Amino acid sequence: MVGTTTVPRPRALSGAGAALRRSGGRGLPALARSLPWLVFGTVLLLPVAGFLLVAVTPRTFSQGDSWFSLDAFRQAFTGWTAHALLDTCLVGVGAAGLATAIATALAWLTERTTVAGRGLWRLLLWALLLAPSYLESLGWTWLVEPQGVLSRMLGHDPAALHGLVFGPLGVIWVLASRGVPFAYLAISALVRGMGREFEDAARTHGASRLAALRLVLPILAPGLWAGFAIVFAESISDYGVAATLAAQANFPLATGAMEQSISTFPAQFPLASAMGWLLIGLVALALLAQRRSLRGRSFAVLSGRTRPAVRIRLSPVGQLLALTGIAVFFAVALGVPAFGAGAASLLPSAGKVNAAGLGLDNFRHVLHSSELLGALGYSARLAAITACAALVFGAVAGRALARRGSGRAGRLLDLLLLAAVALPSVLLASGYIFTYNLPIASRLGLNLYGTTTLLVLGYLAGALPSAARLLSGSLGQVSDSLLWAARAHGRSAVRAWTGAVLPLVAGSLVWTWLIAFCATLLELPVSQLLAPPGNEPLSVAITHQLQGYDIGAGAAMTVLVIAGVLALIATALGTLRLLLPAAHRLEAVA
Amino acid sequence: MTSHLRVENLSKSFGSSRVLREVSFSVQPGRFLVLLGPSGSGKTTLLRCLAGIERADAGSIHLGDRLLAHGRTHLAPDRRDLAMVFQDYALWPHMSASANVGYALRRRRLAEREAHTRVDAVLDRVGLREHAAQYPHELSGGQQQRVALARALVAEPGLLLFDEPLSNLDADLRERLRVEISTLTRESGATVVYITHDQSEAFALADEIGVLEGGRLVQLGSPEDLYLRPSSPFVAQFTGLAGELTGHAAAASTDQGVSVRTGAGVVLAGSGDAVTAGTALRLLIRPAAVTLVDATELAAEAATGSLTGTVVDTAYRGRGYDHVLELPGGTQLTGVFDRLAHRRGTRVHVHLDPEGCFAFPEPHPSPLSAPAQSPEPVSTRI
Repeated sequence: MVGTTTVPRPRALSGAGAALRRSGGRGLPALARSLPWLVFGTVLLLPVAGFLLVAVTPRTFSQGDSWFSLDAFRQAFTGWTAHALLDTCLVGVGAAGLATAIATALAWLTERTTVAGRGLWRLLLWALLLAPSYLESLGWTWLVEPQGVLSRMLGHDPAALHGLVFGPLGVIWVLASRGVPFAYLAISALVRGMGREFEDAARTHGASRLAALRLVLPILAPGLWAGFAIVFAESISDYGVAATLAAQANFPLATGAMEQSISTFPAQFPLASAMGWLLIGLVALALLAQRRSLRGRSFAVLSGRTRPAVRIRLSPVGQLLALTGIAVFFAVALGVPAFGAGAASLLPSAGKVNAAGLGLDNFRHVLHSSELLGALGYSARLAAITACAALVFGAVAGRALARRGSGRAGRLLDLLLLAAVALPSVLLASGYIFTYNLPIASRLGLNLYGTTTLLVLGYLAGALPSAARLLSGSLGQVSDSLLWAARAHGRSAVRAWTGAVLPLVAGSLVWTWLIAFCATLLELPVSQLLAPPGNEPLSVAITHQLQGYDIGAGAAMTVLVIAGVLALIATALGTLRLLLPAAHRLEAVA
Repeated sequence: MTSHLRVENLSKSFGSSRVLREVSFSVQPGRFLVLLGPSGSGKTTLLRCLAGIERADAGSIHLGDRLLAHGRTHLAPDRRDLAMVFQDYALWPHMSASANVGYALRRRRLAEREAHTRVDAVLDRVGLREHAAQYPHELSGGQQQRVALARALVAEPGLLLFDEPLSNLDADLRERLRVEISTLTRESGATVVYITHDQSEAFALADEIGVLEGGRLVQLGSPEDLYLRPSSPFVAQFTGLAGELTGHAAAASTDQGVSVRTGAGVVLAGSGDAVTAGTALRLLIRPAAVTLVDATELAAEAATGSLTGTVVDTAYRGRGYDHVLELPGGTQLTGVFDRLAHRRGTRVHVHLDPEGCFAFPEPHPSPLSAPAQSPEPVSTRI
């Protein structure tokens, strides 16, 4: 007979693993682990909650006579604020629809065809993603305004173009072109990962090439809906275009109206709060529509055996048409405003344009202007602080997010971050102004109103959610066993992390820092509303230059900052590649 | 309508890599052909060329009287009157089971009522009528594959293609679906080409089996032909072996086979080609050819076809036990079945049935032997 006695195997390793896990602090109760995030939520998000309450209970905050009232909402739905809300809805839908259509075409061309210059197009999409919306607005403004570049080049005011840009179409275009990278990211991943089985199955069951395309497009529904919802939410929350192009076009938008409600004297906090509610409601509606459209269906397209899609080889004519379409898009979205900014920076502030008039005077002026250089230094310092803080907190939050299935603390954090993502920056800043200006804040020792600290908190509240989301992906993919393997083989906790985990996530960390830094350096709404007296952030200084009709200096400053940011990104990525080649390779794979 | 499939000299390369090399075969109407081969043997590419998803570089494909591919002619997949079952089902996730099945009927341009009736009937046939309104993600893996099968059958195509349809399923489900595929496809009367790397699946399903090696069709024949008369060591290995010994022909081969002198003893084996005495040979042994005989029952240790070995491992298989034996010289025989268990370390006699032992000349002859001939591929057309 066959021997069947079983002998228990030694369990030394699992014992060690358990010890390591215990040292990792898993034994802490969920409440204690969620305490830092409760503090985070209290400092960063609670002010917004307080601000939102003003709309319904103004007396609680000494903003009216009623304990409960909906007057602020009635007021929001009348007059120019109602106009602004309607405009916002139209602009949101228009920009989202346009951006989703362009992004779908771009995603299909770059992921499913042999269109030339695919790397360049993706790079330009990143450039579009990193540039704040008001810069594109300003580029267009400098180009087509009555005393702008085109007017001075042509010798007369391009009235037709002026009317087109300074109106709903111009606003929708700028917001849509800004939204294209977001929609592209949502759609292209799906187009890339879809494989070709679905098309093959359609073709082998009788579908023509066109019918197969019609069949496959609805499979992209999650990406299309996600793209639409993201661009809609981004567009209605955008302040940069509302404060520049739309303001000059007398085309009121909700975020601009909110800012004006707070900036007027006396400030109309309940009205601004009611508009904040309505903005949040619109964002929620977009997300709800996305959820409902996908309800009951699964669109999982990736399997272990997904066959990579073969690119369609474009004919020379097809290649030409595709390249023309893409080039026109980037020329209008990036090239025209960049030309506007570049030309405005090289031209003197007034007079007819000729070759002899081109010069670097504006750049010299900027480099000797203590006001602009001071603003640059101030914003750079705050951006660096914000980026570092967002990186540290984002890494911790990202790791917790990646393990959110583990308990209540993770879910709470997820909710906090989602809420922060959905909040328009202008609402966040309004909440800070309102709450930290309340007497109770002073009595509690929170004397943050009108300080740089509050400005940094505002920046951090804006940067942290996206940093956490970005890092949760890469940190979530790093298996614990990598760290435990290094520890079990004799490395200390720090050396184990730097040796086994850091090379895998360094690329993501650098990218997260760069994105937070660039976004903060040129951030407008929070800067506009929370800048302390006597300190002017960069974006505010640039818009002041524009309002003071020193277009050349504002444009030169913008060009210098963009060039500096690009140099910083190149240096950071080059250094990463040099010091951690493995991280670079992994990023390339990702 | 069932059709006769004819493939001639089909070749296909991806860049510098030749994936198919002048593959030729034909399948009579209503017959079930399984193409068997390991990963990279070209079977998937061959199937995709038949479907029209890939364009062959050379050769031709005919289905009945129609030319599907030849030279610059390449009929699009939707015009080939075929259907395909994919390995990962490829059910369109935004369509219900009945919509997935019904899609394949569009080319038949049936009235809506008739289309509904046919969809219901085929879903009923695969046991999924009550799941008609469900989406693919609401169905189990086996149910999804049944929907894919129904989708392939509903339009009654002339040619049915199967791309390893059972490989994502667990063993029990695989066996049940295999029976369904076998029954339903034969009921439909369609000509079937089915690819797999699983030899047991191939033997269970096929009327004919084609073995692919490195893009070549090295043997085509009935399952029995392949099992009893493999044309090459590769075919023998791929269709299941207990083990392999090396040796020399003790004498020239006769009608009964050839005696092979191995390190473990002398074994009588079948040989496709005539071999001379001293020829270096590879001896390939089917598991079914090995019988264990208790040492006490057989004293003739040195008898031809009987070796001694030591039991290395024993595994209970329900109906009996699979054993791993080690022969003198270190060669192991695996999957040796016996209804009784033999303890690890026990010395046993091993009887080898010559019908399950195949001798092939070594490709590189030793200096002692005469030059060996490579065995010619056997092609058994049915």
